[in-house]
Amino acid sequence: MTKQVTFLMCSPRGDKSASYSLGSYVTRLLEEKGIAQQSFKIYQIIKNSQKIDEMIKSIDGSDIIVLSSPLYIDGAPYMTIKLMDIITEKNNQGKLSKKDRLLFANSNAGYLEYYHNNIALRIYEQFAEKNGFTWAGGLPIGAAGTYAMYPIPEFLKMLEPLPEDDPRKEIYEKPTKIIDSVIKTAVDHLSKGERVPESELKKLEFIPMPLQAYVDSGNKNWIDTAESLGAKDKLRDKPYELKK
Amino acid sequence: MSYLILNGMYKDDSFIPKINELVSKELVKRDVKGETIDLHKNAIKPCLGCFKCWIQTPGVCIIDDYAREVAKKMIQADNLIYLTPVHFGGYSSELKKALDRSICLMLPFFRVYKEEIHHETRYDKYPNLIVIGTLEEPNLKQEEIFSELVERNVLNNFAPKHATQIIYHSDDESTVKKKVEEGVRIVGDDND
Repeated sequence: MTKQVTFLMCSPRGDKSASYSLGSYVTRLLEEKGIAQQSFKIYQIIKNSQKIDEMIKSIDGSDIIVLSSPLYIDGAPYMTIKLMDIITEKNNQGKLSKKDRLLFANSNAGYLEYYHNNIALRIYEQFAEKNGFTWAGGLPIGAAGTYAMYPIPEFLKMLEPLPEDDPRKEIYEKPTKIIDSVIKTAVDHLSKGERVPESELKKLEFIPMPLQAYVDSGNKNWIDTAESLGAKDKLRDKPYELKK
Repeated sequence: MSYLILNGMYKDDSFIPKINELVSKELVKRDVKGETIDLHKNAIKPCLGCFKCWIQTPGVCIIDDYAREVAKKMIQADNLIYLTPVHFGGYSSELKKALDRSICLMLPFFRVYKEEIHHETRYDKYPNLIVIGTLEEPNLKQEEIFSELVERNVLNNFAPKHATQIIYHSDDESTVKKKVEEGVRIVGDDND
């Protein structure tokens, strides 16, 4: 019997998000292994009871659930928590049959360091436990904005021709290759109905560049973007400051 | 000295209203004035993740709804109190829908703080943070996650002082009262 995966994409930024880019890469690789995919963009279905029923039906028939979410203020965003509320409620109502299902998640953040995502992933693990899903592991991804712009396979293709002494090899290509390799190994395990080994996920525990370099380039990016929107001089405004 | 309680209860929760009442009474006793916002009674749209509150209308969310008022009240309070069920170790969706919309209170700019990347402060003064979570019964894993979440929040919302309390539905009245008193103990301390 064909296996099935349900992809729950939790970013409100849609196809332009790192959540979409990373999660859809996982599910595409699963599809290549013959696992049928159904995907749901949560912001599009959250208020539509018919679509929610479709999602629950999909989860019910699935062997694997892939949850892909941004990190908002150190934890799960509203949209992702609401999704967990709905699934838990439907499960409590008996809408999910007893079946072995793996939950595999990724949490991605704009911060450079992967570990900002750890609490969100532990929250998703609790959600899995509460709902009788088997926690298959989670990918903590830092500096995730890169993958919103460039999906992993395309990004690696872009970086490949660069000369070996180009600093982008170290800053971008090396970490992306590690993430790519971990995802591919994870997909191998998931497709066999197995959890992703902790030792594999631990390979993501690295910081690819000096913190200050990331801070400087990130801050320049904010200024450039604000300038293009005519708001450069207002960036430090304090609109809610109490008048003395 | 002022307070703002963000009540993140789900609408059918009968326990948190009692805690809210006790917390409010305790604060009044300490001569602190303020209000409770019952978030489930207010229409707040989800954060779009667009960052326009940082780079287009700095300090103000582009969505014009009640979340703007919540963010304003948050930064103008001396003490901010979150009430929430401990939900998979985190906050309720009702609380989080308001918090996600409050990132306008910090700057987009990064800085290295305590050897980690965090955002810069937008304002000169930020409120103390008290987080009171409720659980049906003790749950060590969820309590650990919850406490760590608050600690991480404090790094990002610049609270000068903070406290976390977890109250069980099974706690007797005197224990609940004691936990509430303990939770709000930092209010009224001199932190200026």
